[in-house]
Amino acid sequence: MENIPFRSDRVVDELVQFNQNLSKGVKNLLDADEISAGVTPREEVYSEDKLKLYRYQPSTGVVQNKIPTLIIYALVNRPYMTDIQENRSTIKGLLDTGQDVYLIDWGYPDRADKYLTLDDYINGYIDRCVDVMRERHGVDKINILGICQGGVFSLCYTTLHQDKVKNLVTMVTPVDCKTPDNMLSHWVQQMDIDAIVDAMGNLPGEMLNWTFLNLKPFQLMGQKYVSMVDIISDEKNVKNFMRMEKWIFDSPDQAGEAFRQFIKDFYQQNKLVEGGLRIGDQEVSLKNLKTPVLNIFAEQDHLVPPDASRALKKLVGSKDYTELSFPGGHIGIYVSGTAQKTVTPAISDWLNARG
Amino acid sequence: MSENNPWTEQWFKAQQQFVDAWTDMARSGNAGGASQADLWAKNFDAWRRSFEGRGQPDAEVALRKCMDMGREYFAMAEQVGKLMSQGSNPVDAINQWLEQMKQALGQFTGMPGFNGAAVNDFMKQWFSPSANWQDMVSQLTPMNQAMWQMPGMNTSVFNLGEAIDPLGKILEAPGVGYFREPQEKQQRGLQLALEYQEANYRFNQAFLRVALESIQGFQQRLLGLDSDTMPQSLRELYDLWVEVSETHYAEFAMGEEYQGLYGDMVNKLMTMRKHYSEMTDDFLRALNLPNTREIDTMQERLQQLRRDNFALKREISEIKATLAQLVGKPAAKPAATAKPAAKAAAAKKAPAKKAAVKKSKVTRAKAGA
Repeated sequence: MENIPFRSDRVVDELVQFNQNLSKGVKNLLDADEISAGVTPREEVYSEDKLKLYRYQPSTGVVQNKIPTLIIYALVNRPYMTDIQENRSTIKGLLDTGQDVYLIDWGYPDRADKYLTLDDYINGYIDRCVDVMRERHGVDKINILGICQGGVFSLCYTTLHQDKVKNLVTMVTPVDCKTPDNMLSHWVQQMDIDAIVDAMGNLPGEMLNWTFLNLKPFQLMGQKYVSMVDIISDEKNVKNFMRMEKWIFDSPDQAGEAFRQFIKDFYQQNKLVEGGLRIGDQEVSLKNLKTPVLNIFAEQDHLVPPDASRALKKLVGSKDYTELSFPGGHIGIYVSGTAQKTVTPAISDWLNARG
Repeated sequence: MSENNPWTEQWFKAQQQFVDAWTDMARSGNAGGASQADLWAKNFDAWRRSFEGRGQPDAEVALRKCMDMGREYFAMAEQVGKLMSQGSNPVDAINQWLEQMKQALGQFTGMPGFNGAAVNDFMKQWFSPSANWQDMVSQLTPMNQAMWQMPGMNTSVFNLGEAIDPLGKILEAPGVGYFREPQEKQQRGLQLALEYQEANYRFNQAFLRVALESIQGFQQRLLGLDSDTMPQSLRELYDLWVEVSETHYAEFAMGEEYQGLYGDMVNKLMTMRKHYSEMTDDFLRALNLPNTREIDTMQERLQQLRRDNFALKREISEIKATLAQLVGKPAAKPAATAKPAAKAAAAKKAPAKKAAVKKSKVTRAKAGA
């Protein structure tokens, strides 16, 4: 430890530089317009309660897959992560490679939605959206792309409605929720979920924010803002930073009954692996899922560890199972430049190859 | 936002003073009594306030967070820089700084009511989970704020023994007479509030212990570095500290202890909140006003009605489709009437796979009709 090169005067120089960057950046921050969320043109084709089903405007000059794809996002956070900016958009990437893309926006549940169950979400909302798409396109089956918790819903839905799903893509989806590296799961094992739902009604988004930020508190609540000062003098960087910041803190409340069942069945009792999962009056066993599956996970995912997703391979009954490993994190898989070049084209190639 | 307004000039003046003060300190080792990090934050905050309301709320929040982290960053620089300017070599300066932090933190060990709020130096970041938790709890449980203002509640009864427990006697007093039940509910509420505070205290004390261990870990990590891996700048030193802290935190957070402490704290909070909600319900009922229980009942019934309604709609569609087939007319909306394969299987008591195939054929036939 003899060669630490910094001296008092260098420390002062660093601080002066920090100060200057911050001073310049204040203007950019305060001049930033309201951050827009979702950039690709779309139209609302169906709505029910707070749910809206959007169809994205297809790219021109691209041969389009006749089977439309439904993106089912998590109830946690907001789906505009998949379309956060023009050059960082999973949705635009899918459109540009020939997919006809629909997305379910769950909206912001309030107290009136407290009694929505997983059955209501999966056999109700999702099933009706799928039927709308089948009818619009005159097809028996559609493609589904499920993301994170939405991937879990997609697995359950596809298992129960295989006559309506042609191909299933799951992205960063927790299947085995008890892998040793799953911090989220570790935290909820001794929680009395009934007490939480009974006390709160719906689970407040603030609690989810707290939980997610505290998975890596020093990076997410400290270092991020120190590092921001390095880039703050660039107007474009400021806008990108603010887009991400808006998304991170945009956490809808979770409908109480659905949250109760999701945490107990998947995170505490790991029923996709252990068995015994029921959605409504039907049992869900992944070995009955025969639909082609593309399972994509992120190698540095701190929310859904890759092993939690990889577990699907051994559980699913489909003979057409493909895995895609992405060298990044839970968010990078949608927004990084690498993801735009690798993940989205791979999804389209896989879907197009299956008609 | 104009770049040439008086505030900008003042800010640049303040910056110049700041740089002069730092340079002075670096030369002489004399900090002049006042914390430069605090002065910086004060100046910056005053400058920032002059623009309040001119930017988007999200941007102002981000700016405040930058400023808060800037203060911590400057505090680190100040402490290390001060020690270096007093003659210590960088290695010794960092070690002295770490020792000072250990000493400052150590005084909170076992301190009644400790929740991290009193930690003022750079190590405050270790207690951001705790501070954010307190903020969140305040938002979610408004009754909690009033509760801690009551005599005896805020002076913490934990760890001091029963002899000086100011509330113990009250909570143990048996309920009597006509108001026995409300009295017992109030006693129970206070008891639950105390239990939550104890759980919160245990959680924070565990954080404190791990924070102290992380300083030790940081010192060891620095000792293990060579000239190639040694931090080259203040930022690199900070980044290394983040890395080491995150590692210590992750080990703690993935352990049995954390799982138990966190689970217990959440459960105790929720039990308390539920109890006070029930007391509020009793109060509203006495005023002949609707309460949570009644609204819950209505919402649950309404949700069931909606499910029944969708099921009936589906059945009607299926009956219409069947009728249309019988009279030779095409079904209007075949896709929307398709039943889940598993449900069809259950209805026919046939294997799911068979039913799925059959249903698929039927749907295709209808679509093609």
